[in-house]
Amino acid sequence: MNALSVRLHRRSSLSLAIVLSCGLSFAAVWPLSPPRLAANFGSFAKGRVIVGVALAGEEGSVRASEDGEIAFSAEEGTLPSGLPSALGSFVVVEQRGDIAAVYSHLVPGTLSIRERKPKAGDAIASPGKSGWIEGTGVVYQVFDRRASSWVNPYLLLPPLEDDVPPVIRSMALSRGAKSYVIGAAASVPQGTYRLSVDIADPSNAPWSAGALAPYAVRLSVDGIEISQEVFDVAKAKGGKLQLFAQNPMAADDLRTAEGRYELAERLFTRGRTVIEVQVEDASGNKRTASWAVLVE
Amino acid sequence: MEEIGKRRVAAALVIVVLLAYFLVCAFPLQKEFVLVPAWAKSLSVASAAQTANASARQKVVSEAKASGEEVIPFRLGDRYGYFSPDGNILFSAVADYGVALAPDAYATYDRLSEGFTIKSPYGAELARVAAIGYPFFAAGRRFVIGPDQMTVSELSESGAVKWSYQLASIATAFDASASLAVFGLIDGTIVGLDPAGKAVLDFAPGGSRIAGVYGVAASPDGLLVAAVTGADKQRLVILEKRSAAYRVAYHRYLSSDYRRPVYIAFTGDGSRLAYESPSGIAVYDRGTKRETIISVPATTRLGQTMQGGQLMVFLSGRGDTKRLVCTALPDRRVLDVPVKASLAFVEARDDSLFLGADDSLVRMDFEER
Repeated sequence: MNALSVRLHRRSSLSLAIVLSCGLSFAAVWPLSPPRLAANFGSFAKGRVIVGVALAGEEGSVRASEDGEIAFSAEEGTLPSGLPSALGSFVVVEQRGDIAAVYSHLVPGTLSIRERKPKAGDAIASPGKSGWIEGTGVVYQVFDRRASSWVNPYLLLPPLEDDVPPVIRSMALSRGAKSYVIGAAASVPQGTYRLSVDIADPSNAPWSAGALAPYAVRLSVDGIEISQEVFDVAKAKGGKLQLFAQNPMAADDLRTAEGRYELAERLFTRGRTVIEVQVEDASGNKRTASWAVLVE
Repeated sequence: MEEIGKRRVAAALVIVVLLAYFLVCAFPLQKEFVLVPAWAKSLSVASAAQTANASARQKVVSEAKASGEEVIPFRLGDRYGYFSPDGNILFSAVADYGVALAPDAYATYDRLSEGFTIKSPYGAELARVAAIGYPFFAAGRRFVIGPDQMTVSELSESGAVKWSYQLASIATAFDASASLAVFGLIDGTIVGLDPAGKAVLDFAPGGSRIAGVYGVAASPDGLLVAAVTGADKQRLVILEKRSAAYRVAYHRYLSSDYRRPVYIAFTGDGSRLAYESPSGIAVYDRGTKRETIISVPATTRLGQTMQGGQLMVFLSGRGDTKRLVCTALPDRRVLDVPVKASLAFVEARDDSLFLGADDSLVRMDFEER
């Protein structure tokens, strides 16, 4: 059992099912090596949720992550239909298991479309900054055709070498326009509150769309787990983007105006309550924080 | 003697039959279409003259505005602008990154566009838009596609976002009519949105080993949607709106196996559909449900109809040598000329054809003789 399969065992059974249904081979490679994350699945950039990974890099080639077949490619500019390409030059590679991998923001004119069936590790194009992207690199996305959803690429790629756990900055309870940051407030009145947490996973990329998202966030109140957000899949439904396979949440509702992750809504009655948050990144690094709250 | 008589009778019969053939089966000679040059302009010369003389430019703009005639947008690589049918170039400018062009408005945008200004061809500011993404205009409507190529919004006249819609996957093709905006996605789905941003069509044709939409077109009345879908095997699918839903009205497998965007469009009157095929431009007639192939190098840039739909005009090919092809429908080629230009566009209005080639703009009028 190698490191990747160990990682997968740590993840939810649903994630494992997705990976298995994709026909994962352990020959998968990161499209840019070494992978320097500028944005990851679930992170925010300009008010939108990223449903892939942005890898920073100017040198080398963008490589096929798996064996596949080029299904579609387009160059930067306006497509014949008059639609602009916000992804710049991009290519879609069909992989086993009804998976479509998208490599975007490539240097125009470098698409190796003669290689219609690239093998894992074959050069596809050069990393670039075509289309709407703040730095230079590639945005890599994975679409599961069977489930019609975007899959976190972490589930299909080798583990990142990362031993830095995510950061938990603060926890807040909100009711209407009123918000109590725990620690700053000694006590809160009883009532129903929305719980949100300020968390981030550090990135050392030369450009970054913002703080990286965690892989999973678990919330417990008085020792009972009341919510679990696993950044595994995203799917558009009724014209709106939803995240998480279990307990889907509208992407628009994922974060507060202050940038905290919304976790759950809960009724707090008088007494002392202990709130615990555990955050896990894609490499399995965890950080736990707990707060005691006096409810009056 | 009897033998000679028989020969004379036979000869007389042949003559009678020939005469009868020429009298009864006479077919008038087809009229010839002739292109008559009307004017030719150099964009760089016109641009330099207007830069040097602001009042001259103002005069051109005022005259075009006063005439009330619809001006024509052009785009040749990074250069874009407008001209009037009588040859006055309103302006010619170079876009830093992108430009959305329509007969009534345009907007330039940056690569990292977080907003843009919509202007009229005469330079008046129409709207300021605070939206992240790239604008694109079609069928008198204004849209924005988000940085993810999945979020689409429509703008009001004032530039406010009327609606936004998250597509299930990445948009690869688009077309619009007044009543329908249709998108083709990499997952092989065709999505149609009504003017309120509500999905009225969500259909995956399937039937191919690899799903995808390579080109999509909406008829001007919005009742038909056509698409080149899938790879191995690729196929043409035409959907027709019956009562409230779109249903497959026609489909056939194609010999093509494109893995790139493909040209497909309905003619202005909606009677025909033109699309790229390996053997040329295929023209599907809605009325007869028959297809004809116009054999030209088929990386088509634009197709238009002229002379009340009798003529179809294409600018075909890629690289430095393109071909301007006019076909009298269904399949009589009346013009096929090489166009030596790396950048070119063609626009047809009534009986006039406007051709842009690198630095030049030319108007030619069709005459039937």
